[in-house]
Amino acid sequence: MKERLPYGVSLLGALLGLIFGFYSTLDYSAHLDRRLHDVHCSFIPGAAPTSEAEACRAAMYSPYSAFFKDAYWGGIPISLFALGAFSFFLGFAAYLLISGSGAPKRSRLFFAVVGSTPLVVSLTMLTISLTQLGSVCKTCAGIYIGSTVLAIGAWWGAAVKPPTAPAKQGNVAPTLAMDGAPKDKPSPALGILLPIGWLAALGLLTLLPSLVYAAQVPDQRPYLGQCGKLKQASADKDKLLKLVTARSVRQATLFEDPLCPTCRAFHERLVHEDIFDKLNAELALFPLDNECNWMLDTALHPGACTVSKAVICGGDQSRQVLDWAYENQEQLSAAGKAGKDPLRAAIQQRWGPSMMNCIDTKTTKDTLNRHLQFAAANSIPVSTPQIYLSGQRICDEDTDIGLRYTLGQLAPELFK
Amino acid sequence: MNKWIGPGAGMGITLIVAITGLGVVSSSVSSAKQRLVTPVAEKPQVAVANQAEVGYCTPRFKEVLERVLHSCGLAAGEDRRGCKPADVKTFASISDEDFNELFTPLKQRGAVLMFDTGKEDLDTAAQKLLDEKWFERKGARYFFVVARASKTGTQAKNRALSHRRANSVMFHIKNTAKDDPDVDKKVGLLWLGNEFAQLSEAYCSWNNSRPDKKCDEEAINRSAFVSWVDCRL
Repeated sequence: MKERLPYGVSLLGALLGLIFGFYSTLDYSAHLDRRLHDVHCSFIPGAAPTSEAEACRAAMYSPYSAFFKDAYWGGIPISLFALGAFSFFLGFAAYLLISGSGAPKRSRLFFAVVGSTPLVVSLTMLTISLTQLGSVCKTCAGIYIGSTVLAIGAWWGAAVKPPTAPAKQGNVAPTLAMDGAPKDKPSPALGILLPIGWLAALGLLTLLPSLVYAAQVPDQRPYLGQCGKLKQASADKDKLLKLVTARSVRQATLFEDPLCPTCRAFHERLVHEDIFDKLNAELALFPLDNECNWMLDTALHPGACTVSKAVICGGDQSRQVLDWAYENQEQLSAAGKAGKDPLRAAIQQRWGPSMMNCIDTKTTKDTLNRHLQFAAANSIPVSTPQIYLSGQRICDEDTDIGLRYTLGQLAPELFK
Repeated sequence: MNKWIGPGAGMGITLIVAITGLGVVSSSVSSAKQRLVTPVAEKPQVAVANQAEVGYCTPRFKEVLERVLHSCGLAAGEDRRGCKPADVKTFASISDEDFNELFTPLKQRGAVLMFDTGKEDLDTAAQKLLDEKWFERKGARYFFVVARASKTGTQAKNRALSHRRANSVMFHIKNTAKDDPDVDKKVGLLWLGNEFAQLSEAYCSWNNSRPDKKCDEEAINRSAFVSWVDCRL
């Protein structure tokens, strides 16, 4: 019995990995319709999707969630590979569980070795989540836990010594290992070929879901760039902030709110994908704060007007001020909600009193107003972030999982 | 136990799970594909950025402002710059009481710049108040300047003085907004003689550039009323 228990543990781990991988894949594929969807983000498999699954959304939109994002809109989600692999491990664990001591040593060793690969991948992804995304999504964590449980069971199983087989008596047939080789007379050819066969099966099963997915993924090209254009190049455009670098190759107009979490995530994606520095970017600040933005009845991001003014006052350092605002967004948002003074204190602490003097000038107020007037003159949607490539708007749905593919189609020079 | 049960069960489970998984993935992608080509019956309304539109922008108010815009050459496609102030009564098609009444809701938004008798120079307080109002644009598209001259004197003299006062305000605005080439498209100038829409003493309570000085009907009409107008026209 004790030789079976570890594989019961592995079976449970594989099942967990499979279930969470399944939900992750469905969340991803649902977005192929270019509509808004809630994301499953719970340790309880099958729990209803919520609209507050920011960590899972951030992971999903990140460059690390899928392969081949250049070739396919959204890429091939990494969870698909998990689905195939966990299917194999589930079956293999079931085989070892049922076979018990009858399973040959090589199958237990094989399982111990390959059963660790999901854990290796999970540790890599966990490190990326913590270091690059700053959060861990619960669905991903479910896969990590499943991988760990699977590996523990696999190692444990390999470490357990199976009971010694009783001496053969009379005309009792020799027991066969589950790979078909007589336990007491292992076939050398099968001994090598079977692990190779298992490995091939694992490889095939791991790749199969992604191949099916890639074959079916819809062509998004007809929908790209169908979300409008900037209508006017008014004089207010001259007031937008120019964020040009030596590597800038494509004109872009960005509408951002420094206290908007989606803007921060979008900005980080552009930076991580090495796109931001290749944009000849004009930044139009569009704070969703009714202190300066008349298009809102209430402030979605209190304090965003003040932080926007700080970005304007950054002058040559506007990019640094914007990066700082995004990096410290949670603290600045909390300060903004607490009132003007805490927010001003936070800005002054980092950028000094001269920044505060600049924020309070009429010129700065006028510049921010003209950013908003530019938005009004162009009748853009009241939402952030937005990106326009040479005046053509990139649809919201193309700024998340489809970002790299969309930019590759509309601005291939960004990836040269 | 039969030696094949374990491997057979393992393979069977793997195949069932893998095939089920493939089916679900395939179905999920197909269903997304179907939704992609199926138009959404009711797309959620998305707010669009626009100029401000506040409560006082009644149809009557907007109608008059529209006429003023055309008469002042502010409307798109107009080459002419400036108004025919003496004809305000004609183009506004409105009595002077009603005309002044239209601007009543702008009491908080606007301000009255006061002038010395017979003069068109903006004093420091008037300049400061004008700057203050200019930079309180918010979502407005047009800035209105309604200059007046005096309750007394000849009509011609008053019209000329009123015109100079309006120009004086415009000159200061242009100086303040040096980096805005579109000032001309934003500022609507009206200069009224003493024949139309004179202000009563009640307007002395409005925000003005000489709050500490004596204000009467004569003084309040030696003025230019300035305000951004938060209406979409």
